[in-house]
Amino acid sequence: MSTALPHGPNRIAPRQQANWDWRAASNFIAGGSGGGLLLWTALVALHGGDARLLQAGGLALIAAGLTCVWFEIGRPWRALNTFRHFGSSWMTREASLAPLLFVAGLLAVSSGQAILAAITGLLGLAFLYAQARILAADKGIPAWRHPRCRPLVVATGLTEGAGLLLCASGAAPRLWPVAVLLAALVALRQFAWRRYLAALANDGAPAGAIRALRRIDARFTWGGNAAPAVLALLAAVSATPLLAVVAGVLAAAAGWHCKYTLVCRAAFTQGFALPKLPVRGRGTSGAGIKPGWEKSARRLAV
Amino acid sequence: MTHYAMVIDLRRCVGCQTCTAACKSANATPPGVQWRRVLDLESGEFPDVRRSFVPVACMHCANPPCEEVCPTTATKKRADGLVTIDYDICIGCANCIMACPYDARSIVHEPRYAYGDAPIASEAARFDPARLGVATKCNFCQDRIDLAARTGQVPGRNPEVTPACVNACISGAMRFGDINDPASNVSQLLAQTEHFRMHEELGTEPSVYYIWDRK
Amino acid sequence: MRIRSACVLEATGIIMSAAKTVRQVPTFCYNCVSGPDFMKVKVEDGVATEVAPNFDAADVHPARGRVCVKAYGLVQKTYNPHRVLSPMKRTNPKKGRDEDPGFVPISWDEALDMLAAKLNAIRAKGLIDEAGLPRVAASFGHGGTPANYMGTFPAFLSAWGAIDYSFGSGQGVKCVHSEHLYGEFWHRAFTVASDTPNARYVIAVGSNVEVTGGPCAVIRHADARVRGYKRVQVEPHMTVTGACSAEWVPIRPKTDPAFLFALIHVLVREHGLAQLDLPFLRDRTSSPYLVAPDGLYLRDADSGKPLVWDEASGRAVAFDTPGAQPAVAGCHRVARAMVVDADKARREYADVDGKTAYEMLAEHIAKYTPEWATTVCDVPAATIRRIADEYLANASIGATVVIDGQTLPLRPVSVTLGKSVNNGWGAYECCWARTVLAALVGALENPGGLVGTTVRLNRPQDNRHLSVAPGEDGFMVQHFNPTDKEEWQSQPATRNLHQSLVPIVGHNAAWSQALGPTQLAWMFQEERPADWNMPTPTFPELWIVYRSNPAISFWDTKKLAATVARFPYLVAFAYTVDETNTMADLLLPEATDLESTQMIRMGGTKYMEQFWDYRGVVLRQGAVEPQGEARDFTWISTELAKRTGLLKPYVEALNRGVSGVSPLKGAGYDFRLDPAQEPAPEQIWDAVCRAATTTLSAGKEEHDLAWFKEHGFYAVPMSRLEWYLTPTMERLGLRYELPYQERLLRVGRELGNRLHEHKMNWWDEQLSEYAALPEWHDVPARWVRNLEKAGAKAADFPFWLLATKSMQYHAGGNAGIALMSEIAQNVRGHTGVIMNAKTAADLGINEGDRIEVRSHIGATYGKAALVQGIRPDTLVIIGQFDHWATPFAKDFDLPSLNTIAPMTLDLTDATGSGSDIVRVAVRRVEAA
Repeated sequence: MSTALPHGPNRIAPRQQANWDWRAASNFIAGGSGGGLLLWTALVALHGGDARLLQAGGLALIAAGLTCVWFEIGRPWRALNTFRHFGSSWMTREASLAPLLFVAGLLAVSSGQAILAAITGLLGLAFLYAQARILAADKGIPAWRHPRCRPLVVATGLTEGAGLLLCASGAAPRLWPVAVLLAALVALRQFAWRRYLAALANDGAPAGAIRALRRIDARFTWGGNAAPAVLALLAAVSATPLLAVVAGVLAAAAGWHCKYTLVCRAAFTQGFALPKLPVRGRGTSGAGIKPGWEKSARRLAV
Repeated sequence: MTHYAMVIDLRRCVGCQTCTAACKSANATPPGVQWRRVLDLESGEFPDVRRSFVPVACMHCANPPCEEVCPTTATKKRADGLVTIDYDICIGCANCIMACPYDARSIVHEPRYAYGDAPIASEAARFDPARLGVATKCNFCQDRIDLAARTGQVPGRNPEVTPACVNACISGAMRFGDINDPASNVSQLLAQTEHFRMHEELGTEPSVYYIWDRK
Repeated sequence: MRIRSACVLEATGIIMSAAKTVRQVPTFCYNCVSGPDFMKVKVEDGVATEVAPNFDAADVHPARGRVCVKAYGLVQKTYNPHRVLSPMKRTNPKKGRDEDPGFVPISWDEALDMLAAKLNAIRAKGLIDEAGLPRVAASFGHGGTPANYMGTFPAFLSAWGAIDYSFGSGQGVKCVHSEHLYGEFWHRAFTVASDTPNARYVIAVGSNVEVTGGPCAVIRHADARVRGYKRVQVEPHMTVTGACSAEWVPIRPKTDPAFLFALIHVLVREHGLAQLDLPFLRDRTSSPYLVAPDGLYLRDADSGKPLVWDEASGRAVAFDTPGAQPAVAGCHRVARAMVVDADKARREYADVDGKTAYEMLAEHIAKYTPEWATTVCDVPAATIRRIADEYLANASIGATVVIDGQTLPLRPVSVTLGKSVNNGWGAYECCWARTVLAALVGALENPGGLVGTTVRLNRPQDNRHLSVAPGEDGFMVQHFNPTDKEEWQSQPATRNLHQSLVPIVGHNAAWSQALGPTQLAWMFQEERPADWNMPTPTFPELWIVYRSNPAISFWDTKKLAATVARFPYLVAFAYTVDETNTMADLLLPEATDLESTQMIRMGGTKYMEQFWDYRGVVLRQGAVEPQGEARDFTWISTELAKRTGLLKPYVEALNRGVSGVSPLKGAGYDFRLDPAQEPAPEQIWDAVCRAATTTLSAGKEEHDLAWFKEHGFYAVPMSRLEWYLTPTMERLGLRYELPYQERLLRVGRELGNRLHEHKMNWWDEQLSEYAALPEWHDVPARWVRNLEKAGAKAADFPFWLLATKSMQYHAGGNAGIALMSEIAQNVRGHTGVIMNAKTAADLGINEGDRIEVRSHIGATYGKAALVQGIRPDTLVIIGQFDHWATPFAKDFDLPSLNTIAPMTLDLTDATGSGSDIVRVAVRRVEAA
């Protein structure tokens, strides 16, 4: 099975999808962070803290993400049609969670009730999970549909939320639990990232997608995961709020960068493959081809 | 139960793009939108080189990922196997485009014409504003299939109720018919040949089969 | 769910929907030589919207009623906003590439009066000018196809009289020129094809039939592939046809004769006569003819007939001696004989050794071994030997097939040749070799083998069998241009000198002139050889151009365009402004494909792979009203006839069948038009329809124009026996003039005598092509020598640049159609210059980089399209673009070989043909 890049016209080998731009990416960036933040603020609320401002922030992030995507769709005035396919569409499910989430969130913010915050937090988590499932269901994008993409998207959403929480916690007296949480989450995210990258390369994916992800690997690993973990722990140990803010911003920004890359740089399409080449007259069939893929033969046998 | 399928004999295809042109002619797709096209795929290294021509379009999957992800139910799988789009419901979110492993769908947001900003008479006659901002793709010429249901004609046999690309194919590479009917042309052809479906490993169960050799 | 256009088909083809009137109009497409193909145009409320096959013709048409991709562009062609939609006259007297013509619209009356005044003034002076050349010239484009769109204009041209068709737009170099001439000479095959439905093994040398053969070829070869035939494609660049073949042999450009000679070598020297088709060689070819040591046929001293060695009597006898058993091989002592040399010079011989023509071939071919060929054409000797072996094995010598009750030999092997292989230097050798290869195994004009299509240098055009009659020496009659002292045309009657220089092209058929050396017409307008001893050619006073764009579709196009700019008066029937008609004085917009009416012949056997089981007629009809002021060509023609006082001869020409398909008066019918009356276009075509159907049905049926508008075509069955010429040859007791070319040898000597008598030596190199058995003469080196002669260094131009055709564009007449541009992008190479990926890497060129391709006369620019399926020393450009005036196409920024290929005598062969190939250098000018 040859995977050499084809020579000739475009749109044979995988290419970066061109239909979702920064607006769609923003939904995953802001929505994911917002969902994560809502979850962690729920924990804060359950522990008696006043996280209403952060909850409002989480809601605002999700609202901003949805607004961005509204500007992207072709028929924005039909947006309500999004709710018509709850049975299988994770996009419908994501959209359906939004009103619940906003009602619960606004009630939580206005009432300060922990239970409402907890419900909002769970809805935030569900929103984040739905986003991960949206990507996973998109079979046309090998980098998304890979089973290890989903945990990464969830992990980074949680990490980004924790990062934002840590930023806000910089001034709080009890910094260290959030710092430890963030450190743990970036470790988890790094673990998910590595597993994802390794599996993608092993199972085969469009070469362009792997290239795009590898291009951010060092930055993401060291600047986005290692650094915030260290800085967060340092901030906790030294009680330095500024370090906490830096750690939180780094953790969140790294997640955003990762998701932007995932949507706008590594979202290579499937492309086309021929497991067998046609026999012309008394000729012979040639070896199968899957242009533009990196390592792929194993899963292609027909 | 009828299940329409397309069988494409890659041994015959010469990559002439007549099906591409016929599709554009029959479906009045704007410039740059090709519901159907033929890939021109080279492999190997000089002098051991192969060049294959592969017509591609919507595969009308029995397990269509586009239908699964569509939030509006605009994309539907019909009982006869056709995967269709209701332009009046679609919101143009492009999720189906991400879900489709066959690069079969397009969204056009602004009118496009062959020559500049104004439509020529043939474009004006068939301009359909309902197609702007929504996903579009090959629908196996669904109007023709529906006509068959009313007239009793047989898709794949009677040209009036057969997809335009199949009618147009000058090499006879493209066939269409009911794959659940063992006597149909497509069933007979598949029984005699070696074939595959594109990206079968994805579990989409395409209704388009590619013949590559005799049995 | 939205339901669209719920319609009910009615038998009439008219569909009524809620608000629209929809018609399906049957018509044809003949935009390339591989037509006509059937189609239906969907017309909604008077607007053409779709093109689709016409399945009413499924049982009649070999391609089952389908049209190729080009036809789908005809809707856009109709409504292209860049069309010229009213007559226009030039206001800027200066002409040239950088001059704005200043076209202004005028009325048809004014336009026709202007043109008629010009024509009438010419007529008053005389049709022939002081140089003996027609004052009026006309150029029509691609392969005669304009005739299928120009309505009754041929009748006007016929009424006019002498017209010079010398100025080609690629004839001779973009067609398969040598095949036309030699194919028709040897087996009445203006174009040559494999008998694909019966073929088992085809060696296609550059023949890109999947692209140029139209739907009929494509379906035939697709069926053959599925059936399991083997096609070996021998070409430097893997074309679509190469892609669809079982094997690709990347041969070095222009070395095809060496490859083919080696195949003959294997058959003749390694397999030997015993394994060949001995009866065919003995009875249907000149193989047994005895050749004197001087290379001429030994002839009976009394009758002058060529001698054969009769094995029964053990003596030499005239070739047609009843009961003789001619020896095919060997050398035989002849007691008394004579030879006839050039200018009828006779020499007597006594006790002379005569070798059979086959023996001459066997000796001649001995040196062309596969091992020798491999050094020339870069194809391994083992591959050549294997291909020859496979060819012979698949020929199934001895096998027969029954066709329509008649038993014929089945020889399912053939060698087909493509453009640039069968034109220009080396083409004679290729045409000869492949026809000899067919003859050796009895595959010439027999089922499964190598078959001809139609005739264009002989008459009648619509039945090649009827053109076969006994001629000299037991061969078919051939109408050569005379080369004897008395009749040789020392003062050319045409600007391409076809009667003076190319005996084989003849002069008695409609296409003889147009198939002359058309580049000579262009070249000699500007400069002539030092020893030119003929009248200086003049500019035509009036030049008519239709569906032709020589300023871009020939070679050295900048220079050619400058020549066009100097022509005194150009009238162009124009679709859009283009590179040639931008220098016109008058533009006349004719109604195009979907807007006008014309009936043509269809079926029978015609061009490429048009082998039908029917013959008949098909109508092109105005599916929609003409746009703007565009007018049906028949109306224009009649108006011109009227205004030039030629109405009577024009109508008489129509009555003779010029422009129609059969005479308007024949046995049992008379639909003639009154020569005193101006006939309306509908009236003309109604008469043509009636005459055609009456003739075809032998008087049983008569259908009028209204019937054809509804039904589209009329066909009658035809036997497949008509596909093959050999039964006719057998019936007439004739032989194919193969393998030995004694007549060409003599004719060449005669032509040389005439030219030398007139102290002209500038054609000497071409005279060297007249050989009885062609030798290899290092064909590629001619191109190297040419650039060195121009002062360039061969090492500076290390690559070959070739051109190839495309089904989407073919001859390029549809380059302004947006749909074609879009879908052509799906086919590799339409984006620029095709080159080998490794070569590109060595030169630092990446996919999509803008590159310069430079020859010693200029440069062309395009994007690099990197592929593996091309030789490392070869580049290919598809089509002929580089437009600078044609709207839409001028924005393509595509390269063209035509811009940088020189037009020179050095690269013109003896038939007056050249080849689309040039030595080039390549460099990157801009990264992608």
